[in-house]
Amino acid sequence: MKIVGIAACTSGIAHTYIAREKVMKAATELGYEIHMETQGTIGTENELTSDQIKEADFVLLVVDIKIGGRDRFKGKRVVEVSTNTAIKAPKKLLEAVVTKIQNA
Amino acid sequence: MTIDLNNFDIGQVITKDLISLSLKSMNKKDVINELTDLLVKHGDVENKQKFVDDVLAREKEGMTGLGEGVAIPHGKSIAVKNTTIAIGISKNDIQWESLDDKPVNVIILFAVKDTDANTLHIKLLQKVAILLANEDFIKNLHTVQTKDELIDLFINTSKE
Repeated sequence: MKIVGIAACTSGIAHTYIAREKVMKAATELGYEIHMETQGTIGTENELTSDQIKEADFVLLVVDIKIGGRDRFKGKRVVEVSTNTAIKAPKKLLEAVVTKIQNA
Repeated sequence: MTIDLNNFDIGQVITKDLISLSLKSMNKKDVINELTDLLVKHGDVENKQKFVDDVLAREKEGMTGLGEGVAIPHGKSIAVKNTTIAIGISKNDIQWESLDDKPVNVIILFAVKDTDANTLHIKLLQKVAILLANEDFIKNLHTVQTKDELIDLFINTSKE
């Protein structure tokens, strides 16, 4: 399973980075390949490449605010959750999304 | 101040003056005030009321309790002179809006300068945020006995 995603929270100081870290860890533990971009107060980091996006099975937006560059995901399956959801139960979140995709 | 961006140390934003291991406050608002007093005394916040108001305004936008007894209130504010963090630990259970609906004992208050964009200090706060995704780190936060232990915990975990 290949995943790309973006994390972005209201003030772009803390939740963005905690959420990214938690989701990345959970994905790795589950054996998935993941790339997560952050859009925080210091701008965009770990920007997704078009190849990463192209290869991804789905896009995971872990966001509390409007993000930039959403048009990059045109035609992709996009799942959107809050940073709180991702911080609270990252593994459960990924498993639920993957199950849904595999059964679709 | 010149710091090698590739080799910076989290110890640079954590100082003993900005740590309280025995918060006296019994509720969220008082905790924010008590930690802000440390920031004012240390010269990092210039206008206490303005900063507290900005932190409380952020609180209204969404919960800052991460679960496991830890909360990270934060304010990006014109009242902040130096971007930094203050850490408070309490023996009391402080009621806080949290992801696990439980009270907190460790409160890490992020003070961010309004005009601070793309600076080293925000990168350091980012490092602190990443630590908070580490379950062992969170567990250890609840057992530290001294300020030195607390600072070492931050520094050592961030080097892992």
